[in-house]
Amino acid sequence: MSYKVKLEAFEGPLDLLLHLINRLEIDIYDIPMAELTAQYIEHLHAMRVLQLDELSEYLVLAATLIEIKSKMLLPVHEGEDFDDELDFEMEEDPRDELVARLIEYRKYKEAAISLKESADERSDHFTKSPENLTEFGEMVPSGIEESLNIFDLIGAFQKMLDRNRLKAPLTASITKMEVSIGEKMDEIMAILERGGGKCDFHSLFDKGDTPGLVVTFLSLLELMKRRDIIVMQQGNFDGLTVAFRREDE
Amino acid sequence: MELDTKDRLSGMIESFLFLVGDEGLTVKQLTVLTERSEAEVNVSIDWLRLSYEQRTESGITLKLFGGAYRLVTKAEFADDIKRLLENPSPKSMTQASLEVLAIIAYRQPVTRVEIDDLRGVKSEGPISTLIAKGLIMEKGRSEGSGRAILYGTTDLFLDRFGLESLQELPPLQQEEDNVAGDTDLFMTKFQEAFAMDDN
Repeated sequence: MSYKVKLEAFEGPLDLLLHLINRLEIDIYDIPMAELTAQYIEHLHAMRVLQLDELSEYLVLAATLIEIKSKMLLPVHEGEDFDDELDFEMEEDPRDELVARLIEYRKYKEAAISLKESADERSDHFTKSPENLTEFGEMVPSGIEESLNIFDLIGAFQKMLDRNRLKAPLTASITKMEVSIGEKMDEIMAILERGGGKCDFHSLFDKGDTPGLVVTFLSLLELMKRRDIIVMQQGNFDGLTVAFRREDE
Repeated sequence: MELDTKDRLSGMIESFLFLVGDEGLTVKQLTVLTERSEAEVNVSIDWLRLSYEQRTESGITLKLFGGAYRLVTKAEFADDIKRLLENPSPKSMTQASLEVLAIIAYRQPVTRVEIDDLRGVKSEGPISTLIAKGLIMEKGRSEGSGRAILYGTTDLFLDRFGLESLQELPPLQQEEDNVAGDTDLFMTKFQEAFAMDDN
């Protein structure tokens, strides 16, 4: 499975091919077709994990590579007997079209890298959301009438999302709120105090997440063990009542 | 004491830009708001920008991104500002989205099929992501059959990528462009010969 992660980093067959050319330190203008095709197909075998529709794109290029490879195996002077002019044309390198595609793709791949760099530079400049002046009066609309379309709406929505992100508290740390059993025991005793010495068992579990409920339960057990409280039940399946344990009991 | 009119205009522009924040203002909007000529506004903006850059004790500067001027913090304080953030999230884009965006930026208006051909892989996913992010938009339909959608970049793209305008895109490697053109020519001849062979 370690293969899978590595291979999914490719943005398609051309990307994979460029990667192989770089790794094998091949001159892009003089590609050894046999070697490259072998390497490419070897990678395809490792890529069986890919979805079929993705794989099909890789297979198309594999077919192209094999076609070019086989064309290059054909003796170039074969056509000599038939047509001199054709022979001359046949001497054109069958790799040319592929090379042109690779170079064109590489151009945009590199442009993507420089675009990312300029985006990174831009992100070093921070700005703020517009001031809300509504308390001083109505804002004049931008001053220039523009015709708007769905894409302006998308842009506005995206901006709104970004602003909401900025509006979030600058520091938001998520910490576990921990209540110790000791604290919970005091709390339960206080509740009993307010309830005139007793309260309903279930009302102690009204709120709180799972750990909170567990703490409440453990506190009750601890209080019972210390003989501070008593839990009573009138009859089978009746609700439980928690009460102070009277000294005389 | 009455302020010098030039100083007054710069101050006026600065106060507007302060209030509008990341919305920014175009020169056109500034001329309307200040009731001055475009030339006057441009002079004042240049003067403001220069004075911000010269004042090392100022953390703010003026930048033109995607046609709108904005007051922004200086890049040199980026790391310090990040201390205000708990989890500074570098809004990373996938390599696929970046490639598609690069192709659209340089070749716009461009159809999806052209993008697919260039990358040798389908690009529907990245295209819809880029539309949702407001970085690209439909720029009409192609003349050819099927009237495919033509895509182009938005002003938000220029802003996010710190470009004043599309002319500011770094040039693609020209040399190799020519080579590619040449090989294309060879290929056409080659294919013509091939076609002749078939007949």
